[in-house]
Amino acid sequence: MIEIRDLHKSFGPLQVLKGVDLTVEHGKVLVIIGPSGSGKTTLLRCFNLLEQPDQGSLALADLKLNFTASGKIPQRSILALRQRTGMVFQSYNLFPHMTALGNVMEGQVTVQKRPKEEARKRGMELLAKVGLADKVDAYPHQLSGGQQQRVAIARAMAVEPEVLLFDEPTSALDPELVGEVLKVIKQLAAEGMTMVIVTHEMKFAADVADQIILMDDGVILEQGTPAEVLEHTTNPRALQFLNRISGEDI
Amino acid sequence: MDDRKIQIFLDSMLPLLKAGVAFTIPLAVVSFILGLLLAVLTALIRLSPWTLPKLIARFYVWIIRGTPLLVQLFIIFYGLPAVGIILDPFIAATIGFTLSVGAYSSEIVRAAILSIHKGQWEAAFSVGMTRGQALRRVILPQAARVSVPPLSNSFISLVKDTSLAATITYVEIFKTAQQITATTYEPLLLYCEAALFYLLFCSVLSVLQNHLEKRLDRYSAR
Repeated sequence: MIEIRDLHKSFGPLQVLKGVDLTVEHGKVLVIIGPSGSGKTTLLRCFNLLEQPDQGSLALADLKLNFTASGKIPQRSILALRQRTGMVFQSYNLFPHMTALGNVMEGQVTVQKRPKEEARKRGMELLAKVGLADKVDAYPHQLSGGQQQRVAIARAMAVEPEVLLFDEPTSALDPELVGEVLKVIKQLAAEGMTMVIVTHEMKFAADVADQIILMDDGVILEQGTPAEVLEHTTNPRALQFLNRISGEDI
Repeated sequence: MDDRKIQIFLDSMLPLLKAGVAFTIPLAVVSFILGLLLAVLTALIRLSPWTLPKLIARFYVWIIRGTPLLVQLFIIFYGLPAVGIILDPFIAATIGFTLSVGAYSSEIVRAAILSIHKGQWEAAFSVGMTRGQALRRVILPQAARVSVPPLSNSFISLVKDTSLAATITYVEIFKTAQQITATTYEPLLLYCEAALFYLLFCSVLSVLQNHLEKRLDRYSAR
């Protein structure tokens, strides 16, 4: 479904991704974990070209893109890729001048050119699905962090993406609000949505992931099922990271 | 004040009001609208990656901000006829004020656009928007809210600056006051009366600014 090969990305002299290969199967959930600065967020942002890789390739079903340091990706391909992916950000990034429903309708109307009525109907359904049927007319500032993030998930879903990308979706939330967001993501996973999730929530990762990637210093350190990566790894650096994380949990 | 002065004051009100409504306000409104369009265009060019247009935009802002408005008006109205361009006072004044508003306000618009968090661009891009769509649907509406107070300042300054058009034979409030002074010889009275009219117009604008801010504030917690 999604294939990434030999992906490289540098910011100036800093090499953030040093050759990453991965595959996400249709309907599966890939969770990316790793210490901060390991390149996991940059990797996720390459999935919808918010960062453009310097080298390597990315394929989403039939859409294939090859990257070189000098070559520019045609705007048409960038837009096509973004219309087939949805992203949920750490800090929600809802449009503050639109209501919850307006946020969910925006992509459908402006990008997909759907009739407003149709977009409204789908928007209502999605907001109901994330448990916010009674908040359709609320502006983002009137919502809690957890509610805003659920609107953001509905917004990302609205354009019917083939894959949903989550960039630390619960890191900005108060602890008591984390659960409601994770619940929605788990529900989507159960429905067979293809997802790539960057997170620090280890228990959630173990629960929801079909496959886990542990990144460190721009490369994939470990990859496999949650049990393989979280419980049976023998890689010393991976163990070091996992011990530190579980220490923080207590 | 004696009866004669009171009579002159009262007699002058209608001509000054007429000059304000028929000349000062149209000049200010037309110049501001055109100037604002020019300002947005200039700001967008300055934020674009195009080298030559950027250079031209910077040159324009540099020239307009670096030379006096009065001198610009004289060049347009008294200078251009030397090269065969003869303009009606209203047109000349509109050109002068539009260029001025465009240059000063472009910095306001540019700052307002830059003040919008990068995450808003990314959210717009993530649903598949082009740069233009993101700008129109997401960035500019938010930038507009940020720029209402400084742009109101510009508009109020502009209303007062239109008095400079008196020097290029445009018969607005100030010019009318000069003309009445010439026949009544009451400069203190007439110029104070003219000032009162400017104060009145600018006060109305301040009230409108408050209304506009309240309207645009419906989505923010401020």
